[in-house]
Amino acid sequence: MCDSGRKSLTQDRDKYEKRIAVLERKVAREKKARNIAEHQLEKYSLEIYETNQSLKESLASAKKKQAELEYLANASNDVASEASLNELMLNTVALTGQFSAADCGFYLVTKEGRLQSNDSYKLWQKNKGWKNDPVLVKSASELLPLNKSISFDSWIVSPIDDVEIGIREGYKWITYTNFPMMNDRVAWIVFLSADDHLDVESLYVLETVRGHLLNGIRRRISDVRILKRTVQLQDTVSSLDVAKRQLVQSEKMASLGQLAAGVAHEINNPIAFVYSNTQVLKDYLEDFINLDKTIRKVLHDNKSLDEPLYESLCERMELSFLQDDSLSLVQTNLEGLHRVKEIVDNLKSFSHAGDGVFSNISIFDCVESALKIAWNSLKYEHQVDNQLSKDIPSILGNMGQLQQVFVNLFMNAAQAMEGGGTLTISQTLSAKTLTIQVSDDGCGMDEDTVNKLFTPFFTTKPVGIGTGLGLSISFAILEAHSAEIQVNSKIGQGTSFNLIFPLL
Amino acid sequence: MKGIVFVKFNEFIEELWGIEFWDELLDDADLSSDGVYTTVGTYDDQELFSLITLIVEKKNISPKDAQFAFGKWVFKELYNIAPPGAHDFKDIFEFLHAVQNVIHVEVKKLNPDALLPEFEFLSETQNKLSFHYLSPRKLCFFCEGLVHGLAEHTGQEVKVYQSECEHEGDKRCVIVVEKV
Repeated sequence: MCDSGRKSLTQDRDKYEKRIAVLERKVAREKKARNIAEHQLEKYSLEIYETNQSLKESLASAKKKQAELEYLANASNDVASEASLNELMLNTVALTGQFSAADCGFYLVTKEGRLQSNDSYKLWQKNKGWKNDPVLVKSASELLPLNKSISFDSWIVSPIDDVEIGIREGYKWITYTNFPMMNDRVAWIVFLSADDHLDVESLYVLETVRGHLLNGIRRRISDVRILKRTVQLQDTVSSLDVAKRQLVQSEKMASLGQLAAGVAHEINNPIAFVYSNTQVLKDYLEDFINLDKTIRKVLHDNKSLDEPLYESLCERMELSFLQDDSLSLVQTNLEGLHRVKEIVDNLKSFSHAGDGVFSNISIFDCVESALKIAWNSLKYEHQVDNQLSKDIPSILGNMGQLQQVFVNLFMNAAQAMEGGGTLTISQTLSAKTLTIQVSDDGCGMDEDTVNKLFTPFFTTKPVGIGTGLGLSISFAILEAHSAEIQVNSKIGQGTSFNLIFPLL
Repeated sequence: MKGIVFVKFNEFIEELWGIEFWDELLDDADLSSDGVYTTVGTYDDQELFSLITLIVEKKNISPKDAQFAFGKWVFKELYNIAPPGAHDFKDIFEFLHAVQNVIHVEVKKLNPDALLPEFEFLSETQNKLSFHYLSPRKLCFFCEGLVHGLAEHTGQEVKVYQSECEHEGDKRCVIVVEKV
């Protein structure tokens, strides 16, 4: 081989060696890169696995939190609901049992350590719901410190020694708490669990619900108390209402007692003249009988009766006078009896207890009848100036009650005007009200007396004369009529009462 | 910088000047990674800049041309491995708008630590679009090259230039794309 050939071969070999070296380095880099990439891949795989595990844990935690929140929300809803105490306890047992994965649960009520009747010993069971199981409930309740009067402020968890009691169902844990109830009773909520381990974290959630439940129980107890008080109050109001009616009636009868002498006198007068007239009428009737007898005798003796003889007989008996006077006497008697009837009618309506029913009434009629009742107290020494017009608008009210108010005012006025004076009754009409003013020109009252005027049992009258209830009862009656009463009084000048009634 | 850029740069140089030249570059550059690049790794930005500086010296070209050429070449490579959502755009302006809102979002899903440039669009007409190129790496010429690569892909003729450039003393880089 020539030199040039050898040289060329050497160059080629160098070139190839160089290229092989470059390629070897490239392969080495690629191999290294592959190792790095594979290592990275493993790292990613591990990261993915760890992320996956972390996600699973987060999901489990989120599910647990969701269950806790659902439990809390449901328990809060139950507490806030209008469910009765018994329903609340039953719902709480079911909800809490489900949440804490207990195998069964129940609630019972004790008083002084002894079981009270408890809905036939209802027992909640996981996945089965409620059933009656007095044996299990009684056996499990023996594990509770029922006779110790302790009120727990949390849940108590205790292991069960199943030899100790007659429960043969493999329960390992008992979880319970209690709540004070009304009348020294205690409510217990109890759960039994066959799991080897209890989820301690869930106890914190149970604690929260325990707090809610305690508030719910307190609210319900307080509701029951409020209800009882409301019933008591309603009873008291009814009793007061009855007492008030009795008081009004008593005061009315007391007024009637004061009026009795005057009323008797009012009745006595007409009765006296009716009696006297009737005596006269009796004489007149005897005269008529005698005339009849005389005429019959003449007819029997003479077989006839001529006009001159009849006229002479009549003249002798003063028949014309008898006839005129008899008619006059009968008329007077009728009037007298009418007066008596009227007085009795007014008294009847006054003394009648009444049913308190309101109707359209005329104040004019009411005042008129009240004046008649009080008339005897007024007619001798006082003038009555009744300016009320007969056609004043009617108001909605109770006749008997308002009569009582006016009689009371008139009697007071008469007593304030000892020795004489004028009682004036007048009216003022506006678009919405009718004001009746009752004024006297009597002794008047000082400010202190005016201020106490409507206070029950306050009176300026001597013992036995006034009850001290008249004006306070009048005030109550007017209040019930939505009427207002105003008093103006000046010592030595007189007093006026304005009764302002709403118009229909 | 993500390894995909180094891997593609390696392929680009080898395709252009052969494996010996790449081998020579690595030998001269004395990089901490020894040029062992994987697409899943992340490498020091400076390694790319060192390699470009060496090429500029050895081949007597400007850094601008080097970046531009690599950008133009690498577009189709990146496009081929881009997530599916990146393939729905037919117009260059439409694609540029989608870079930030679609493509970079997809890139971030796979590479949460990737440091990506931001485009702030300044003006747009039917034929002209200008945007502010923001990147601490200041590879604005590389970006120009990418836009050219994109234009080749969409089959549109464009003129790409910078109205402002930090390498020319301006405060920012504004890239203008004009459809011709």
